[in-house]
Amino acid sequence: MKELRFRLILILVFVGLSLYLLYPTFQDYLNSKEVSKSLTKIEKEIKAKNPTITDNKLKDIVTSKRDSILSNHPDYRSAREKRVKLGLDLQGGMYLVMEVNTAKLLEKLAKDPDQLYLDILKEAEAESKISDENVVSILARKMKEKNIRMSRYFGSIREDDERIVQRLLEQETDAVTRAIEIIRNRVDQYGVSEPSIQKQGSRRIVVELPGIAREEEARRLLQGRALLEFKLVKDAAFAIPIMNRIDEVLASKLKDSTLANKETVAKKDTSKKNLTEEQFAKEHPFFAIARLIDPQGRIADAFVKESDRSKIFEFLQRDDVKKVIPDNVEFIFDAKPTLGPDGENFYRLYMVNKEPELTGGVITDARAEIDQTTGSPEVTMQMNAEGAREWSRITGANIDKRCAIVLDGVVYSAPTIINKIPTGSSRITGSANMDEAKLLEIVLKAGALPAPVDILEERTVGPSLGQDSISQGVNSALFGYLLVALFMIFYYKTAGSFADFALITTVLLILGILAGFKGTLTLPGIAGIVLTMGMAVDANVIIFERIREELKTGKTIKAAVDMGFKNSYSAIFDSNITTFFTGIILYQFGSGPIQGFALTLMIGIVTSLFSQLVLVRLIFDFMNLKGYKINVG
Amino acid sequence: MRLFENINIDFMGKRTYFYFVSGFILLIGLLSILIKGLEFGIDFKGGSEVAIQFEKPVEISYIRNVVSKIGLGEVEVKTFGGSTGVLIRTPLQEIPTNVLPVVKSRVENIISSNFPNIEKQEIESTVNSLTYSFPNDSTAELVSDKLFAYGFTTTKTAEEVAKSGIVVKLGISDWIKENLSEKVKDNKFTVLKEDKVGPKVGQELKRDAVIAVILSLIVIMIYLAFRFKFAFALSAVIAIFHDVLITLGIFVILYGMIPGFNLEISITVVAAFLTLVGYSINDTVIVFDRVREQIKIHKTLPLEENMNLAINKTMSRTLITVFTTLLTIIVLLIFGGEVLRGFAFALFIGMITGTYSSVFVASAFVLEYANRTKSKVTF
Repeated sequence: MKELRFRLILILVFVGLSLYLLYPTFQDYLNSKEVSKSLTKIEKEIKAKNPTITDNKLKDIVTSKRDSILSNHPDYRSAREKRVKLGLDLQGGMYLVMEVNTAKLLEKLAKDPDQLYLDILKEAEAESKISDENVVSILARKMKEKNIRMSRYFGSIREDDERIVQRLLEQETDAVTRAIEIIRNRVDQYGVSEPSIQKQGSRRIVVELPGIAREEEARRLLQGRALLEFKLVKDAAFAIPIMNRIDEVLASKLKDSTLANKETVAKKDTSKKNLTEEQFAKEHPFFAIARLIDPQGRIADAFVKESDRSKIFEFLQRDDVKKVIPDNVEFIFDAKPTLGPDGENFYRLYMVNKEPELTGGVITDARAEIDQTTGSPEVTMQMNAEGAREWSRITGANIDKRCAIVLDGVVYSAPTIINKIPTGSSRITGSANMDEAKLLEIVLKAGALPAPVDILEERTVGPSLGQDSISQGVNSALFGYLLVALFMIFYYKTAGSFADFALITTVLLILGILAGFKGTLTLPGIAGIVLTMGMAVDANVIIFERIREELKTGKTIKAAVDMGFKNSYSAIFDSNITTFFTGIILYQFGSGPIQGFALTLMIGIVTSLFSQLVLVRLIFDFMNLKGYKINVG
Repeated sequence: MRLFENINIDFMGKRTYFYFVSGFILLIGLLSILIKGLEFGIDFKGGSEVAIQFEKPVEISYIRNVVSKIGLGEVEVKTFGGSTGVLIRTPLQEIPTNVLPVVKSRVENIISSNFPNIEKQEIESTVNSLTYSFPNDSTAELVSDKLFAYGFTTTKTAEEVAKSGIVVKLGISDWIKENLSEKVKDNKFTVLKEDKVGPKVGQELKRDAVIAVILSLIVIMIYLAFRFKFAFALSAVIAIFHDVLITLGIFVILYGMIPGFNLEISITVVAAFLTLVGYSINDTVIVFDRVREQIKIHKTLPLEENMNLAINKTMSRTLITVFTTLLTIIVLLIFGGEVLRGFAFALFIGMITGTYSSVFVASAFVLEYANRTKSKVTF
């Protein structure tokens, strides 16, 4: 028994680990069933109450309800994060490959472009479509052919072509970074779960948005021009009374709805005098989730937990709440959350003027740098003449007030205006580190310089096709297993059933590894698992055939098993290694779904070898040890 | 139960017949590739494609008729999945400029007929979209909903210029959807998937696919060069070419012959080809392995007999493994759905030719090589 113990423990550990890693997936499956059940109920209720509601509106309401259900159950979210990631082809969603349009950028960057320049640019653009050469270098080459110096359109007269080309290439890289930040910002706001935004090559951006219901909206999010605004932050004296009123309105509504169980509330009131957290939430529903940063109330910013954000949106959408908020102000969040002490992300909530003081079009340049005297990072920004004039008036009239820098509706920074800025050339200090300053630079530029992107490839899978694919995949896997398992038992009797047991373990291990390493399961990935089931028994077929041969020479079963395994190793490794090689190449070559296939194929080879060689061997050894008879058919 | 036990077939002696069989299939396949040409999917060709699912079965010819009249030129229409699914494809990326005014007037028609006397202002008109602004938010929302109901996709602008503006997207798929929802009123549909691949990406994918196939061949050559001597490596690679070409040929021959069976070269099909390259070599390696073992045991026997012995001894394993693998592939073919059909079919053909070629192409070529050079084959 002792010689078996180590292998047994090894197998149990792997299987146990897989089960542990797969548990969230199972939990998530149950959760989403629950959620969709309650969502259909809500949808029906809304329809019954308001039969004339348009599909668009209904969808919006249902989506926001779903968001609030999900954010109210932290365990729902954690299960979702830990489950086996499904590819876009299974859960529906959108896959986009975008490329920064350098030609458009060059058109905007050139100073006084004339017809000649535009013609050359057009030629260069046409050429770039069929070659791998960069538009900038094609343009430079064409200009040279025509004996035109680059400095006629870019930079200053003293700079030579090479330097200008270098700078233009930098501008291009900049534009890609900017486009990524703009996209990330909007995607975050749209609330897509598990989005993926990646840079590919020098100027491509690959965006994956799972589970997008209204893909057109997403597309719009990705392509529209970024809007940068400067908005004045309302001071506490103005904002806090409004927030108080919102709180009161919400509290009174809450009381109405809990009228039915008034008795229990009353009982609790007598038992505890002090305001517990629960009590506080009941009496101050707004302040309970939007906690003022400054207890003395000198500034009106509030911290909101990430999970409460959708609740705030819901509050602010209510008609009775809208009534108490003046028309000329609005609440907005900041773009990036800060990590709170208890590990949860917090967003800052600002109250700002609805009308922007200035929009980003006036900015001509922005740069993040280190202040020579203090050594701390800062961002400088320049404006054109018209902007500078406005800016001077705004800063002059609002000294000591804060001005929020808002990109596409979220705040990136809200510096205090210290003095009147007459020339438009401003310094923004207070960035915590260079990364933050760099981000602010990107944001400021985003308002000024466009980052035009073209969509090169776009694939959208509707949720219904994804659902169909999942059920087809699962059905194929079940049928495939059934057929292979029956055949193995039929042909190899008892030994065949060992192989079948090993096969289940293989599938379990594949899924466990996928969950553990955050691999993505796609439809071709499921096909890879199904295919693995067919191919995985190969190892056992080779061994069983060999055992039969050895038995024929008159060996005992124990000796035959030993020899059978020993003589099969080389053939087994040979027959798996080439498939593994092609798996690696496939992974390199393919995108999304194909990578999923390559992944399950490779994991399948490794895990099936483990279970066929270690697990089946263990069963054989155990049976031999106990003296059971083994039928190899 | 034991099948194929103690079989003793003179495989090598019959190799000439099988040269004819292989040659015949290869010839027909190559001829069809030359005549019919490879049918590439949207992945490699570029273009736009929409798959939609109706609630009730539809007449495919009717859909074809509707779609052919909307100014998109040559549009391919075929079934997708069952009788309720339709796949519409065009090589175009965006609506041609000569059709654009038609689309635009259609949009404006919808607005003016549903909302007479509405004040609207055109802000922007591009190949991809139309932007209008309206006096206030609620009107914009109403118009947006109406256009959406007609099949157009709309979004509200978030830009300061027009807080009450809407953007109407004018894509190929939108135009198709609008026309279908107008012409096929009693049968609602949902969009299953939408793909748009630019010509540049298509070219790149094609290049990548070729690189991947060549790379995998090189890797296999290197591996075989380590395991066996030159004659074996060469024969194995010839066998791979044989398998890939035959599968490709059968793809082309059967393209369009079976209704509802989408046999075009897509990325997933290329993935299947790569898989079968890896798989087809397995059987060959196992047979060669056994040949090597046989040569060691029976040093005096002629190569042909040793090969026959090796093939006969491995036959049982080969056939059983192929059988279980084919079982799962057939399951994928039947239950895997439209998306996996081409993939499973390529594997199905590939597995069969892969097994066949390990005996009648790879092994036979080693024998031919040995006979030609009259040299003793070493490993």
